[in-house]
Amino acid sequence: MENILINTQNLTKAYKGVEVLNIPELEIPKGQSFGLVGNNGAGKTTFFSMLLDLIQPTTGQITSKNIVVSESEDWKPFTSSFIDESFLIGYLTAEEYFYFIGDLRGVSKAEVDELLAGFSDFFHGEILNQKKYLRDLSKGNQKKVGIVATFIGNPEVIILDEPFANLDPTTQIRLKKIIKELSDNNEVTILISSHDLMHVTEVCERIVVLNKGEIVKDTQTSEATLEELNAYFGQEEMN
Amino acid sequence: MKIRNFVSLEWKQFSRSSYFQKGLAIKILLAFGALYFLAMAIFLGIGVVFGLEEAFPEKDPFKVLNNYLIYYVLGDLAFRYFLQQLPVMNIKPLLILPIKRSAVVRFLLFKTNLSFFNILPMFFFVPIAGVLLFKSYDVIGTLVWLLSFICIGFSINYANFLINKTKVYFFIILGLVATLLALNFYGIIDIASYFGTAFYAIYTDLYWILIPMILLYLLFKINYNFIFKQFYIDGAIVEKASDVKSYNLSFLDRFGKLSIFLKNDVKMILRNARPKQVLLTSFFFLFYGLIFYTQDMYSEIPVILAFASMFITGGFLLTFGQLVPSWDSEYYKLMMSQNIPYRQYLESKLYLMIFATLISTILSLPYLYFGWDIYAMILAGGLFNIGLNTFITLYGGALNRVPVELNQKAKAFSNTNGFSPAQLLISLPKIFGPMLLFYIPYKLISFDAGLIVLGLSGVVGLLLKNVFLNKIEKVYQKGKYKTIAAFDEKK
Repeated sequence: MENILINTQNLTKAYKGVEVLNIPELEIPKGQSFGLVGNNGAGKTTFFSMLLDLIQPTTGQITSKNIVVSESEDWKPFTSSFIDESFLIGYLTAEEYFYFIGDLRGVSKAEVDELLAGFSDFFHGEILNQKKYLRDLSKGNQKKVGIVATFIGNPEVIILDEPFANLDPTTQIRLKKIIKELSDNNEVTILISSHDLMHVTEVCERIVVLNKGEIVKDTQTSEATLEELNAYFGQEEMN
Repeated sequence: MKIRNFVSLEWKQFSRSSYFQKGLAIKILLAFGALYFLAMAIFLGIGVVFGLEEAFPEKDPFKVLNNYLIYYVLGDLAFRYFLQQLPVMNIKPLLILPIKRSAVVRFLLFKTNLSFFNILPMFFFVPIAGVLLFKSYDVIGTLVWLLSFICIGFSINYANFLINKTKVYFFIILGLVATLLALNFYGIIDIASYFGTAFYAIYTDLYWILIPMILLYLLFKINYNFIFKQFYIDGAIVEKASDVKSYNLSFLDRFGKLSIFLKNDVKMILRNARPKQVLLTSFFFLFYGLIFYTQDMYSEIPVILAFASMFITGGFLLTFGQLVPSWDSEYYKLMMSQNIPYRQYLESKLYLMIFATLISTILSLPYLYFGWDIYAMILAGGLFNIGLNTFITLYGGALNRVPVELNQKAKAFSNTNGFSPAQLLISLPKIFGPMLLFYIPYKLISFDAGLIVLGLSGVVGLLLKNVFLNKIEKVYQKGKYKTIAAFDEKK
């Protein structure tokens, strides 16, 4: 039997009686790279936010490593995430931010530096030693900082919401490489949401399509997947 | 785009913000609060002339009243500086629409006239005028006098706007007021009778009304020009990236896990406009005692002094503390999903407030000049602040869900004062707590007993730290989702 890491049961979220998410069951095994696609309002960010206990489920629950995320904070040490800019601290420099996250996760400065050295290509000389606060960086560069910060402290679960958006093409390609390397390591479970079907099929082993809060497709990625997805969303357009 | 459109936008922003969707209980309480103040103003307005007549039977009560009105003007200015919310308008969507800038600016300025702080004085001055007419003072003179004070009220409104926005005006007006008070203090001029004569002159020689009218016009114009120039989304024409300032904060390392947050908070305060403003404000609190300790009137009533003493050391605690989770609102989701136990987060804020109180206590050493009794009182107030006020403030923070934009000064368009009705409620024990703790033993036993009880209350609070923190943590946990959602709301 596969080693299930994240387990979702009867999860629903309703705002004033309107249901925005309804996932009766979803299991994500350890080490999987999991892709979530869907149009705006499909519930991708809502799902991730509930996984991080930022939004309270209306019914049901999510467990991460058998910890009910809304009942205990014990999932925090092995989970890291970047959802949007509100995960950055604007008045810190990139280094200070990385060290801050390092401090929180019990990683020394030297270890953080070592990790960052591995990302010098990804940073493209625009992040470190810039003498700039994060709030003064461009959106794309802010995103790079946020994404790399999630790798600090060997998290077992990494959650990235729309990591490819706002990045320049070169960086997108580099990010894909980084994610693939991470997913080769079977200790790390990566959850990614994206609007970009091509990117997500390239880096994810499994793809789940959400539509209006419900899972409409759940496939292991194969060569045919991209075409299937294109067909599916193309059809959506016609309806 | 007409005024009507602006008004409807404003109304929607007001009524649809999460801030407004408070419980019915708080709304009712607030309404009662407002009614209470209005009733008090009317009562005062009616009573003041009769009261003065009784107190100074040989003088014209209207003249006596005018002598005191300058203190009202200065008090109103100070009161508003600390309490009045500045008008806010989301200009970004308006900038690209075909609307005249002047229309928006004018609307923004007129909007400030509707503040409760402008309405309240009317409820004071109109009854006064009524009584004057009843006492058969000159009808036209009284009405013109009333009109001038309405002009003065609005002038204070605009002056407050300016001093809140620009340091230059802040120091100009502060300098003017300080000079006046100093001249008065050393007996070079008697500002009360000086202004008293001037105010009375409006009643006798009507053309003097031109002065408040011109003043109002000038202040309006200065504000108008000032805002017009700043009418860009970043408040200035060129955006300048700020230089990075680094600090050696390793001395904080001794606080172990908490040092991570403490260092971060120190950077937050020093690198952002809004907390820097708060720091400055809390520095001014140190001088609060000068108002009270120099007046013989107050030294007779030690309970007022107990209140003042709490303020001297509590400046930072009160101004910073009341916005506790809001300071982190820009990255609250990070704080909530990172490897951070709530407890540590709260504890670090607690230590920050305690440090600040300790520093204020040291800085208030010059008050020894007023004698040991006064300084002992400041120390007792400081202990109360450290041991009890910190917890009350943290508790109040849990109710506060107004996001703060860190690097925006409380500026015309982009920032609301993170001041909510809940804060008003929670401020009651902060203010009356020390007064009661001091007053009861003082009345029953002695002055010293009052001080000891006030100080001890702080010590007891510190001993119960874990109990309080547990309780507060639960409140924060309970409100977590609501807080996240409210901080997510973009202004």
